[in-house]
Amino acid sequence: MKRHDIYTLPILIWLSLFFTIPLSITVIMSFMSSTPYGGVTLPFTVGNYVEIMKGRILAILWRTIRISALSTLITLGLSLPVSFFMATSKWKNLLLMATIIPFWTNFIIRIFAWIFLLGNNGMLNNILIQLGIVKNPITFLYNSWAVVVVIVYTYLPYMILPIYSAMEKFDFSMIDAAMDLGATKIRAIFKVMFPSIKGGITAGILFVFIPALGSYAIPELVGGRDSVMLGNLIAWEITTARNWPYATALSNILFVSTALALFLYLKIQGSDGK
Amino acid sequence: MRRSFLLLFIVSGLIVVFLLSSGFLGKKLYMYNWAEYIPQDVLNDFRKETGIKVIYDTYASNEEMYAKLKAGARGYDIIFPSGDHVSIMIKEGMLEKIDKSRLSNFKYIDKNILKKITYDPNNEYSIPYMLGSTGICVNKTKVREYERSWSIFERKDLKGKMTLLDDMREVIGAALKYLGYSVNSTSTKELEEAEEVLKGWKENIVKFDAEFYGKGIASGEYWVVHGYGENIFSEIPEEEWDKYDFFIPKEGGTLWIDNMVIPKGAKHVDYAYKFIDFILRPDIMARICDYLRLPCPNTEARKLVKKKPIYTIDDLKNCEFIADVGEYIKLYRKVWNEIRFGY
Amino acid sequence: MTVIVLIFLYAPIMFLVIFSFNSSVTGANWMGFTLKWYGELFLRSPDIWEGFKNSLIVAVFSSLTATFIGTMAAIGIHWYKPSFRRYINFNIYAPLIIPDILMGVSMLMLFVSMRIRLSLFTIYLAHTTFSLSYVVLVVLARLENFDSSLLEAAMDLGASEFQTVRRVIIPMALPGIIASFLLSFTLSIDDFIITFFVAGPGSTTLPLRIFSMIRFGLSPVVNALSTILVGGAILLTLLGRKFLKYILAGEG
Repeated sequence: MKRHDIYTLPILIWLSLFFTIPLSITVIMSFMSSTPYGGVTLPFTVGNYVEIMKGRILAILWRTIRISALSTLITLGLSLPVSFFMATSKWKNLLLMATIIPFWTNFIIRIFAWIFLLGNNGMLNNILIQLGIVKNPITFLYNSWAVVVVIVYTYLPYMILPIYSAMEKFDFSMIDAAMDLGATKIRAIFKVMFPSIKGGITAGILFVFIPALGSYAIPELVGGRDSVMLGNLIAWEITTARNWPYATALSNILFVSTALALFLYLKIQGSDGK
Repeated sequence: MRRSFLLLFIVSGLIVVFLLSSGFLGKKLYMYNWAEYIPQDVLNDFRKETGIKVIYDTYASNEEMYAKLKAGARGYDIIFPSGDHVSIMIKEGMLEKIDKSRLSNFKYIDKNILKKITYDPNNEYSIPYMLGSTGICVNKTKVREYERSWSIFERKDLKGKMTLLDDMREVIGAALKYLGYSVNSTSTKELEEAEEVLKGWKENIVKFDAEFYGKGIASGEYWVVHGYGENIFSEIPEEEWDKYDFFIPKEGGTLWIDNMVIPKGAKHVDYAYKFIDFILRPDIMARICDYLRLPCPNTEARKLVKKKPIYTIDDLKNCEFIADVGEYIKLYRKVWNEIRFGY
Repeated sequence: MTVIVLIFLYAPIMFLVIFSFNSSVTGANWMGFTLKWYGELFLRSPDIWEGFKNSLIVAVFSSLTATFIGTMAAIGIHWYKPSFRRYINFNIYAPLIIPDILMGVSMLMLFVSMRIRLSLFTIYLAHTTFSLSYVVLVVLARLENFDSSLLEAAMDLGASEFQTVRRVIIPMALPGIIASFLLSFTLSIDDFIITFFVAGPGSTTLPLRIFSMIRFGLSPVVNALSTILVGGAILLTLLGRKFLKYILAGEG
């Protein structure tokens, strides 16, 4: 123990107790067998993993990654200019609150609001029809695009906030200085500002991409008959199928692959407070 | 300074949280139930009569409730699982036996219904609360001609306007009934046939929906939905009820039944008995039936009901209880994996 | 761009507000102005208020705790090389990856085996746990590329370590700390799945209540509550601007 460990001691204890132990439970469980009524039983087996590899899970996995990656990219694309605007605005705190307040309403009614807005009989379609732009309603919902839109909506603040808080410390006169030296504005932003907000961007990407991988309610509510994501499958295995070892094995596969990708990303990206 | 204040704030806050959540005041019955399943004024009257306050916690599906209890959650005194889950909970030793001699109003329950109960013969562990059928609701202003049959899901012209429940047993059960089999079939061949039927239905539905279908059909988003009548009609204003037709298909359908049970380890068993008996009282039961617009399982209460239910007990004669099928559930999971998840 | 994003963020909220005054239950079609949902909310919805109160209690305390512990950890990780660095890092990133439902089930099993009675307190523990990762990463991002000469200067001038943290680091990291508090608060007030598993009898939060009504009984009463919530939050923000400014300016 070093003297400065006092800073990290609380988190060390807290997460060991409330995260590492539960995580270990799921790892152990994934190597056990299930009973018909949701119990878990010995002997230890790798059967669950074998079963998963045998199944045609790849299609679902691929769809999950595709949807999550696309949502993350769009969220990032929206968040960078917004954070920039916020960080340079006189009204930063007001804008900060403005981005977060919508998310204090309940998740489920926000999604229902989207359904009423974008549905076949929804507000947008009714407006379009009344304006004579389209004859028949456009089906916005019940496909993977709808899932992407609502994921972007749901996770926007988790991208904006870290990027904003990293950007806010940036001395914006540096951009002007770089431009005086002949750089274009875009180039100046990228070369001068980017390095100092990298951590914020990384955090934002993690906060959007990884939870999106586990999405469950969004595909269920606005997706179509074929928009199942991995999160739905895991939830189904836990509740209806009552096969907890299988569900934990699924989750562990998701975990290990995400962790590997994350590790590589952080390595390539270089630093991250290490 | 600010930080030590913060710490003090947190600690004192936690104490408050503890006190608030420990609920040490007064007589309390902890109920775990479907949302809005018992009207608030009935609970108020129970409190007036007995002095017991009902703490009403809610779940949205049997499966979620069961997963939570299976993982070890305790503290509830009365729960409302459906028949198949009652049988699972009995097998897993999760329920207290019920002493019917302590329930003076048990005698009012329809004997014909009790006879049909296979998941808990003689009601040793469970007391029926409500029963009904899963059916199809059609928006008559949009769909003018239709047959009251499961075959409606084969109609290509309604493609993209229909939903099936997101529920393995209900959906597979519907296909089995359509083919003339039992909803609890354990035959591989029959289930394979059902799978073929469902593949066809899936082409025509917009999605599997267990959450939004009531609001969906009421708002005109969907035209034909598979679901529970009471959920659908609670979304539609009373003056528009005749625009919608809720029916149990002529081939028959699935029957659900929700029961009152006392979980093992319940702390307030006496209160739970009082509550069950109160619910079974004809005048109370009639009020609940009017509220839900469901047929009364209680013969005496049927005489006191003021509103016409969505369907009557007689309409249910073609229907079959969804029962626990034990190991054979694997066959169902296989079909569902194929249909719902495509793997 | 910001305007477009704000419209995107507020479109469903506007919908909620408008339809909290709609007399139709379902709310896709306008059926006339009414205040009945507000009446219902204030006069006949004790459950909703109870849930709201529980949610608020948990959100406030879990986000305060997470912000406190997480900020400390971020400072420690950034400036000092703590022991068990890899293990700590793992524990910060890993909770983000576990699907919510499993986190809920496994935490429930932990609480049951530790014989902790399920209550608001267990919800508080769970929420603090999943908020920690967010706090640490946001504050770390804020501390990145921070000019450490300031720190040395403070020390050279004779400031104790505690004083340095309080007078230099905290004010400097404050926007990050506030952002992470807001994130934790938002995560907590809206969490459903984990809460479902770790909630005990009588500790139903608002999302639990609403999710269980999703199939039956969800009415514009919840829209009315959302409208009041959003309106109140906006009002507080406007009124509290001076106050917020004061806090943000810090003491340093």
